[in-house]
Amino acid sequence: MKRIFLKNTATLLCALLIAGLVLPCVSLAADSGETVLRVCSWEEYIDEGDWGEDEVIDLESGDIFGENPMVNDFEDWYYDTYHKKVRVEYSTFGTNEDLYNMLTLGDVFDLVCPSEYMIMKLMAEDMLSPLSDAFFDENDENNYYIKGVSPYIREMFETHEINGSTWDKYAAGFMWGVTGFVYNPEVVSPEDASTWHLIDNTSYARQITVKDNVRDTYFAALGALKSDLLTSEAFKNSPDYASRLQMEMNDTSPEMIAKVQDYLQSVKDNLYSFETDSGKADMITGKVVANLQWSGDAVYTMDQADEDDFTLDFAVPEESTNVYFDGWVKLKCGVEGDPDKQHAAEAFINFLSRPDNVIRNMYYIGYTSVISNSEDGRIFEYLEWNYGADDEEEDTVEYSVAHFFAEGEESQDEFILTVPEDQLNRQLAAQYPSEEVLARASIMEYFNKEVSEATNQMWINVRCFNIKNVPVWCWILAGLIVALIAYAVIDKKISRKHQVSAPDITTFRDHERKN
Amino acid sequence: MRFSRKLLGIPYAVFLIIFVVAPLFVLFFYAFTNGEGQFSFSNLTGFFSDPNTLGTLCYSFALAFVVTVVCLLLAYPTAYFLATSKLKAKGVIIMIFVMPMWINFSLRITALKEILTMIERNLAYYPFLNSVLGMTYDFLPFMILPIYNVIVKLSPDYGEAARDLGADSAGTFLQVTLPLSVPGILSGVSMVFLPAMTNYVVLDMLYNSTYIMGSLIGSYFSAYNWHGGSMIALILLAVICGFTLLTDSIGEGEVKRGGAML
Repeated sequence: MKRIFLKNTATLLCALLIAGLVLPCVSLAADSGETVLRVCSWEEYIDEGDWGEDEVIDLESGDIFGENPMVNDFEDWYYDTYHKKVRVEYSTFGTNEDLYNMLTLGDVFDLVCPSEYMIMKLMAEDMLSPLSDAFFDENDENNYYIKGVSPYIREMFETHEINGSTWDKYAAGFMWGVTGFVYNPEVVSPEDASTWHLIDNTSYARQITVKDNVRDTYFAALGALKSDLLTSEAFKNSPDYASRLQMEMNDTSPEMIAKVQDYLQSVKDNLYSFETDSGKADMITGKVVANLQWSGDAVYTMDQADEDDFTLDFAVPEESTNVYFDGWVKLKCGVEGDPDKQHAAEAFINFLSRPDNVIRNMYYIGYTSVISNSEDGRIFEYLEWNYGADDEEEDTVEYSVAHFFAEGEESQDEFILTVPEDQLNRQLAAQYPSEEVLARASIMEYFNKEVSEATNQMWINVRCFNIKNVPVWCWILAGLIVALIAYAVIDKKISRKHQVSAPDITTFRDHERKN
Repeated sequence: MRFSRKLLGIPYAVFLIIFVVAPLFVLFFYAFTNGEGQFSFSNLTGFFSDPNTLGTLCYSFALAFVVTVVCLLLAYPTAYFLATSKLKAKGVIIMIFVMPMWINFSLRITALKEILTMIERNLAYYPFLNSVLGMTYDFLPFMILPIYNVIVKLSPDYGEAARDLGADSAGTFLQVTLPLSVPGILSGVSMVFLPAMTNYVVLDMLYNSTYIMGSLIGSYFSAYNWHGGSMIALILLAVICGFTLLTDSIGEGEVKRGGAML
């Protein structure tokens, strides 16, 4: 009887526990009239509001201020505009690979913001849901994305294909940038910082960090290995320069991977370390003198250093640079068959693309938005507000961002900034790379399964300690230690067998207790 | 309706099944299958035929071994003198040793990083040393406490008896106190050695770019290779099992005598 009761109680408890886990989900789903939008994006990649009083961006066309989190503002805006309730469940991921692993484990999101290569991978694996035709309707006043996206990004999205469909069918850009070196100009000369050979430059031995990530490091190694070819006049002036560059910087042949491995193994000891996220702080505290960085983080690093009256510069290697972007894509597993969700997801992209929100996000996270919206003009105005030289300043230069902003030939002249000279290798150059830098930018394709396995193995070979490098004395020492332990164990066993009946401490203690 | 004490075990049993036993099965499944989901030993043979993964195992072992020895050398005298001294404020001193554990671990390592930078100027030249220092700093309390607990419970009568029987103080220590404190040492060793093999965060934060077992598993997962990663986790599990059996067999007699495992 008792046992049955026990069993029943156990079942009951289990049932209660499971009910406790499941019920909240059910009740949430049952809440009618509200669309739940599950968004997953990078950590610290959206304005979370709560700005200080002194942080108002006072443009001439009006102040911009982040009072509430962007996500809440979206929920309010959506209700005001479409008279439907939406609730955003915002979560974050740390790396593209984490996101992909989350998805393969069965996590469901409606809208995610991975990097270009992950978008390509997701597209190739047919995990994305295409953007609707309504999203591209330029006559809809709420379609801030298509009305505002920069011609440079637009062209990139329209000319690159995966499985026969262009990127723009599935992805809307969010932030973009290039890779380069943040460096301390007091120690590193701009010439040295302007080449991928910086990482094997022995005059800065153990003073440079690169990313602990196989793709960025692979690209850097390619740049250094192919430096002579990439910087030769013949190559630069060849008629199909852009496509040849693209091909060279996506060289993942087994021979090349082997070469990169040798190269990285040889420079490993010349580096300070492969860093996961300490690079920014280490630049500011002066532990390292140069750091391979994404331009958005570079801007953040330089801003932070400025606050400490410490000057850092940014350089883009002259061989080539990796142009990357993060974009919003709708996941099939989340939105398929749910028009409300699809609408809300696209509205979310559009809301983030509204010029004032673009500025808020850019100010908050330091990256560069893909939106230029030259018609509205506020983003360019923000650039002038941010970087423009004061009237009394003397060493000023003109810096054109027309390649990013101008819609046609005739408006080229409108997008020239007058900036202090040092901005040419500082925040502005990082946030809005010049046309000349973008000419040598190449997109790094996603690695297919074989290449991914090969590069991962290469990375393990670089990072792991090879057993063949164990010195002889270590083997001898290890052998001695093992022998010692073995002796201790065996000795114990033997002595226990032959234990004499002399009173040991146990019996002593037992005796004590009895008394 | 009678309340049975066994009922109290149910929440933990449920916890155990969901979070320990079930994941272990998943681990086994992934470790012995390949990308196509077929049964395969390729992950196992792959691990033992690659000089790099084997090297990582050796490196982790070496690091953990050195950390354990350093911890032991630092912790034993501390614990011994603390436990045998007649100080009134013993509790306070013990608290000072345990206090670092109250502070967030990454904060502690960040502080250590700054201190080491002040001393060494450039951390990149001594990655192994720095990792040993970082882990020692992190794990030292786990070594001190069990040893202290064992020694403090030893009755002073044993020492007096040994002296009455003619042992000098060195003999008393070597033949009475030290053997009786073995359970504490073993408990401390297993609490330091095993985490030291996998705690790659310390290495990351102190700029040691060489992989240890923990980071190797991570690198497989970030390349979507669940199978290889699971196999390494399994091998690590086997190593830990072997290590625990070893310490148990060394300490068998002493543990039976009611040693204080922490």
